[in-house]
Amino acid sequence: MSVSDVNDFIRQNRAVADQVEAFRGHWESDKHWVPRREFILRNMNDFEGELHMDQLLSLSMVWANNVFLGCRYSTELLDKVKQMAEGIEVEDAPVFKTRDEIVKQQQGR
Amino acid sequence: MGVPAFFRWLSRKYPSIIVHCVEEKGRECNGVRIPVDTTKANPNEVEFDNLYLDMNGIIHPCTHPEDKPAPKNEDEMMVAIFEYIDRLFNIVRPRRVLYMAIDGVAPRAKMNQQRSRRFRASKEGMELTEEKTRMREEVIQRGGYLPPEEIKERFDSNCITPGTEFMDNLARCLRYYVADRLSNDPGWRNITVFLSDASVPGEGEHKIMDYIRRQRAQPNHDPNTHHCLCGADADLIMLGLATHEPNFTIIREEFKPNKPRPCALCGQMGHEIKECQGVAREKRGQHDEFADAMPVSEQEFIFIRLCVLREYLARELTMASLPFPFDFERSIDDWVFMCFFVGNDFLPHLPSLEIREGAIDRLVRIYKDVVHKTGGYLTENGFVNLARVEMIMQAVGVAEDNIFKKRREDDESFKRRMKEKRQRMKREQQGPAYLTGGQFAPHALGRGLQPDAVENARHQAYGMRMQSNRDAAQSLKAMMRNGGGGNFPGPSDDGNSRGVKRKADSDDEPEPEDNVRLWEDGWKQRYYKTKFDVDVSDEGFKQKVVQSYVEGLCWVLRYYYQGCASWKWYFPFHYAPFASDFQDIQGMFSDFERGTKPFKPLEQLMGVFPAASGNFLPETWRNLMMSPDSSIIDFYPDDFAIDLNGKKYAWQGVALLPFVDERRLRAALADVYPDLTSEEVRRNSLGSDLVFVGKSHPLSDFIQELYRAQCHEPTEVPAELCHGIQGILSLDDDPILPDKTVSSPIPMLRDIGQNSAIGVKFKDPQFAEGFVFKAVLLPGAKLPTNVLKPEDWDRRENQPWRPQLGFNPNRQQAHLDQSGFRALGHSLRNQHGGQYSNAPPPNNYQQQGNYRSPRTGHHQAFQHSRSGGQLGTPPSFHHQPHFPRHQQQQQQQGYHGRGGGAHGWDRAMQSQRAAYQHSANRGGGPGPGPSGYQQRFHQQRSDWREQRDERGQQYQAHSSSNRGGYPAPPPSRRYVWK
Repeated sequence: MSVSDVNDFIRQNRAVADQVEAFRGHWESDKHWVPRREFILRNMNDFEGELHMDQLLSLSMVWANNVFLGCRYSTELLDKVKQMAEGIEVEDAPVFKTRDEIVKQQQGR
Repeated sequence: MGVPAFFRWLSRKYPSIIVHCVEEKGRECNGVRIPVDTTKANPNEVEFDNLYLDMNGIIHPCTHPEDKPAPKNEDEMMVAIFEYIDRLFNIVRPRRVLYMAIDGVAPRAKMNQQRSRRFRASKEGMELTEEKTRMREEVIQRGGYLPPEEIKERFDSNCITPGTEFMDNLARCLRYYVADRLSNDPGWRNITVFLSDASVPGEGEHKIMDYIRRQRAQPNHDPNTHHCLCGADADLIMLGLATHEPNFTIIREEFKPNKPRPCALCGQMGHEIKECQGVAREKRGQHDEFADAMPVSEQEFIFIRLCVLREYLARELTMASLPFPFDFERSIDDWVFMCFFVGNDFLPHLPSLEIREGAIDRLVRIYKDVVHKTGGYLTENGFVNLARVEMIMQAVGVAEDNIFKKRREDDESFKRRMKEKRQRMKREQQGPAYLTGGQFAPHALGRGLQPDAVENARHQAYGMRMQSNRDAAQSLKAMMRNGGGGNFPGPSDDGNSRGVKRKADSDDEPEPEDNVRLWEDGWKQRYYKTKFDVDVSDEGFKQKVVQSYVEGLCWVLRYYYQGCASWKWYFPFHYAPFASDFQDIQGMFSDFERGTKPFKPLEQLMGVFPAASGNFLPETWRNLMMSPDSSIIDFYPDDFAIDLNGKKYAWQGVALLPFVDERRLRAALADVYPDLTSEEVRRNSLGSDLVFVGKSHPLSDFIQELYRAQCHEPTEVPAELCHGIQGILSLDDDPILPDKTVSSPIPMLRDIGQNSAIGVKFKDPQFAEGFVFKAVLLPGAKLPTNVLKPEDWDRRENQPWRPQLGFNPNRQQAHLDQSGFRALGHSLRNQHGGQYSNAPPPNNYQQQGNYRSPRTGHHQAFQHSRSGGQLGTPPSFHHQPHFPRHQQQQQQQGYHGRGGGAHGWDRAMQSQRAAYQHSANRGGGPGPGPSGYQQRFHQQRSDWREQRDERGQQYQAHSSSNRGGYPAPPPSRRYVWK
């Protein structure tokens, strides 16, 4: 599913698109939201029902937090979301140093 | 406000706001502790009515102290908390109300900060444990000794969050404590005690504010109540000002930077865990009797007098020729509001406003400029006028560019100075002072190299002597400048330092990476790119950030003046916008959503804890923090990015934690709610404030009657029974009642068999929704007398201004009369082996055994007059011989070894003795006094020089070391260093 595919999908499924748009976080810029929206749309079919939807949202956030905020989760979880996000293009993702890395670096000094 | 710099700035700028506490200590007699009678007048010469305790400021230092060994278990922690409260009670001695408030569930706006603190604390705790284990092994392998590891679980300070068992237990212990003191301590007899534990929503200090605000708004409130609020947070100062009560004082621990901490591993002072050698503990005192005595002094308390701060602010803020009438109370509110720009718990501070860079002064300057144009104040009763705020922001925005450039310059020059200081320190540490250099330097023998013959020895010796003088002068200068750098171009140093400089460059610490470079053009673009990952042209996003910040400013101000406007609102970004971005903000905010509800305690725990603290939660709840299938797993990253943001250490940076989605959290918890045990359901429910009184309190009978009648209707407090305090009482389910034994929750403390306290639920007076609490002085409020020196004093009065040093303007200065000085001198002499005393003590004659009556010995009298002649030049400090410095140092050590430290009054005594000496000599008449004196003089003559020298040395020690933050009092006779 490329960007144009996503746009096509949104045009064709206005209701679904609006529903998904409601999940946008207040802090999310277009750059962060568009890929996450794609993540949600791509995997929507595997997570039906409200509770499952929340689970999908959670996974989308795990992925977005990892890519855009620098958060680390367990390898199991990260592998899973990376798999789910395969093919989503993120240009110019920011680079972070996690707390553990900073602390380790400072201890080594 | 989590801005420690704020208090430092305030107390430097407005020094008279601080008054040191006078604390009467309990005495011990034959091993029995005699408690202080707090019914007596307050030794601080002021009487307080109400004491409010922001309990979290007490719980943290009592449970995991930084400067002493941690308590072994929870019981010890509770006892430590009790003792701390006792101490405060003894200092403040409230006469009407004691209000204890523990942080309950906080508004959502605070959650970001709480999360970041707890995620960090959890990691820091684990790292410390790891480091301890590692170092322990290392030390033991090297053959060092360490005390056996105590069998205790690491205290996770995260348990100091509402909803945990620990907090529940604490609430129970405090009820016991209150009952005990009300029953047994006479100082508590007439006190009304309020306890707002963690089950009541709201931050502690804001619960206190709510109480004060609501009492003020009801007609029976005494407008001249003297409030005393305990807590170290700088925002208490803001809150206190926001009440507009004329008598408001804050009490807090004195802030002493760089306090020594014991090593976390072996518990000894003097090194950090990294340098722990596992060396056996040194014996302290001859029989190790000081083993447990900490080498640091007990933490002392200070008062911060807000009425004095108001005086200062009145001077600073008063403006003439305004287009509208000047109202000081309103300008205070504006000042408080502007302080929020610089930092508060709910919003990140504006990048251009740093308190250290005088941001508040700058804001005040701008404010006074702009207020002429705005046509009115920025705020009213906690509501913000955005159009006017925009004008302030724009004025700050204009200066932003220069602020960043200036900051860079200051940073650079600070770094340069620090580097120079490090070099200087390094040079000073190069070798012991007795090591000579140059051709006198020690040479190793037997390597086939013969040292050269010494040439021109006299000349070099002269040079070395001068060098040590220069060094001495230099280090003295350095000390006087308080270590803050300065260049001392010593001729011989210069060449040296150039060589060192280059070397030092290489071992410099690497500068933290900074991609924003606010001091270079294009900073705004880079800031938005790096911090928000958006393009600066994305106006929509920028607007969102600004709007959220504007909402935030409104929320915070409302929080301080009216109470929590919305439990739901929060600032959903990690960074603030620039001041110059605040454009067209007028329409950005109208009102907050009404009727929002706080989280339940366990819900909030789920919102602020990392998965590593999941042990405080029921199992299925904990599972939501860990399981990959959890629908809220994204809230709990194992590790997170930290943006150092120009700072050096991880704990100073911004933790980039994801925000909690409230809807998803509640939805996920709905599933696990049924798993709560009844105990957990109780802990998760919202509790109520409690009020306790003792038997002799007028309210006691009233409450007892309520219980007797089983009156389940909420009942108003009759205002006349309780100093005009109002509120609504309702029966407690498990009340503390007179003559009902209160069982002790702590094994080491006894049950209260003879309880006479009574407790009941309390609710603050209620007001209609939309009621606005007025931020004004109440009618009938009497302003305390001014403390500061009137600005026109020198013009008006001929006498010198006498500053006020405490609460009491007519404070009696303590002084000793002549006999007092004699008595003091007497005991001093004994203490110091007689060396310093010139007063002839009677028992001296027998001891020395060579007493001769002056009447019989004319020779003696003659001798006396001769010695008197010599004594005409007593050891005055003008007569300081020029002793080589190193010799003085030796003597200084000798002095300290013997005298056990010099004291201020000790020195005062010397001057007094000198006076005595003069008169004794002048009077000169035959009598036992002079003769005894003379004998002593004989005895002392041999070491006269040394002694004189020593006194000079004593001064030096004082002026340079300046321990405890007191400047050395001026010497009685001017002593000039030459």
